[in-house]
Amino acid sequence: MRLAMATIAPFQDALWALNSAGEALLLTLLVVRKNYRSYPAFSFYLLVDLTMGATVFFVYHLWGFHSATAYGVAWGTKGIVLFARALAVAEVCAHLLSRYRGVWALAWRILLLCAVLVLSYSILAARHDWGLALLTADRGLELSIATVIVVLFLFARYYEVKVEPVVRSLAIGFCLYSCSAVLNNTVLERWLHDYSAFWNLLRMLAFLASLSIWSWALRHSQSEAQTKEILLPSGIYQAIAPEINLRLRLFNEQLGRFWKVEAGPS
Amino acid sequence: MNFLFYTFILAVAVLLFLLAWSLRAPRKRRTPSLGPLASEQDPGRRHATYLPQIQRALAPADFEFLASRTSRRLARQVGKERRRIALAYLSGVQEDFQRLLKLARVIAILSPEVGAAQEFERLQLGVQFALRCHMIRAELLLGLAPLPQLSGLSQMVSGFAVRMETAITELGERAALATELASSLERRGVDLR
Repeated sequence: MRLAMATIAPFQDALWALNSAGEALLLTLLVVRKNYRSYPAFSFYLLVDLTMGATVFFVYHLWGFHSATAYGVAWGTKGIVLFARALAVAEVCAHLLSRYRGVWALAWRILLLCAVLVLSYSILAARHDWGLALLTADRGLELSIATVIVVLFLFARYYEVKVEPVVRSLAIGFCLYSCSAVLNNTVLERWLHDYSAFWNLLRMLAFLASLSIWSWALRHSQSEAQTKEILLPSGIYQAIAPEINLRLRLFNEQLGRFWKVEAGPS
Repeated sequence: MNFLFYTFILAVAVLLFLLAWSLRAPRKRRTPSLGPLASEQDPGRRHATYLPQIQRALAPADFEFLASRTSRRLARQVGKERRRIALAYLSGVQEDFQRLLKLARVIAILSPEVGAAQEFERLQLGVQFALRCHMIRAELLLGLAPLPQLSGLSQMVSGFAVRMETAITELGERAALATELASSLERRGVDLR
C-alpha cells in the first residue's frame, strides 16, 4: 500500500499541476474569447475549482495530508465546488431549452425532480456508515448531475431540439466526469484501503479528460445572443394537444383490442 | 453491499448508454417501398388511402383460390410477397403516425405553455403504439398475420390526420395565427400534407 502511494505520488502531483494549469488556461481562454459572457456560471465554476484546489494544496502543505484539518478543508471545499458545478450544469440546461418557454417550464421541474430522487435514493440506499457519509453524499450528487444531463439530452432528442456543439461538449464533459466519480466512489467504498491510493489519481485523470473536451469546445468565440424562437400563441396548443391525444388514445385502444383478440385463441 | 455496488455500476452503464443513444443522429426510417405506384402518385396521399388495394391483395379467399389452383411453391412465394406488402404497409402507417406525432411535438415546443399531463400522455401513447406495432410486425413475420386489423389501424391514422387538418383550418379563420403556425411548422420541416 505504502509502495503504491509512493509510486503514484509523483504522478499525482504532476497531474494536479497539469489540471490546475489546464484550468487556468481554459479560464484565460474564456476571458480572451469573451465566452464568459455566454457561460458565466461555467466560468465561475472553473474559478472556484481552481481557487479551492490551491487552498487544499496549501492546507496539505501546512498541516499534512492525513491531518484532521486537511480532511475538513478538503471535503468543505469539495462541497463548494459541487455547488458551483450544479450551477454550471443548470446553465447548460438553460442554454439548451430555455428559449422554448413551455417545454422549459416542464423540463426544469422534471430535471430537478430527477436530481432530488436520485440523490435521495443514493443516500438512503447507502450503508449508514458515518465514516463514509461524505463519500455517499458526494456520489449521490455526482449521480444526480449525470442523470440530469442524460435526461436533458433525452428531452432534446424527444422534442428534436438542435444541440449546439459547445453546449453538447460542456454537458458531455460534466456527465463523463460525474459518471467516473460515481464509479470511483463506489469502488473506493468497497475496497477502501486497497484503492485509496488510486482514487485521487483516477479522479484527476477524469477531470483532465473533461477539461480537454471543454477547452476544445471553447477554443472559438461564441455568439452571446441566442437565436430567439418565434413562439405560437398559447391558444394553438390548447386547441390541438387534447385533440391529438384523444386520437392517439383511440388508436392505441384499437390496437390493444386487436392484440387481445389475436392473443386469445393461440 | 454487493447489491448496492452493482446497482451503482449498472446505473452508470445505463446512463452512458442513454447518453450515447440520445447524442447519435436520428436514424432515417427506411420504409420498404410499396412499389413505383405509391412513390409516383400525389405525395400528399396517406398510406391509409391504399387500404382497398392492400385489403384486396391480402384477402384470404384470394389466397385460398390461388393455393388450390397452383403449385405449393408458387403459393408459398405469393404468401411471402403478401407478407412483404403487409410489412411495408405497416411501416407506411407507422410513418404517417410519426409525422403526426412530430407535428404535435413541434406545436408543443413552440408554445409558450404546455400541459405536463398532455405531454406525458402523448409520450406514453407513442411508446404503446411503437410496442404494439412491433408485436404486429413480429406476428406478421411469424406467419400469424393479423391482416384484417391493419384496416382499423390505418383508418385511425387517416381520421387523425383529417381532424388535425380541420383543427388547423378552424384556427386558420384567425388568419394571422394560421400564417404563423404554418411558417413555424415549415421552419421545423413538418409536412402537413
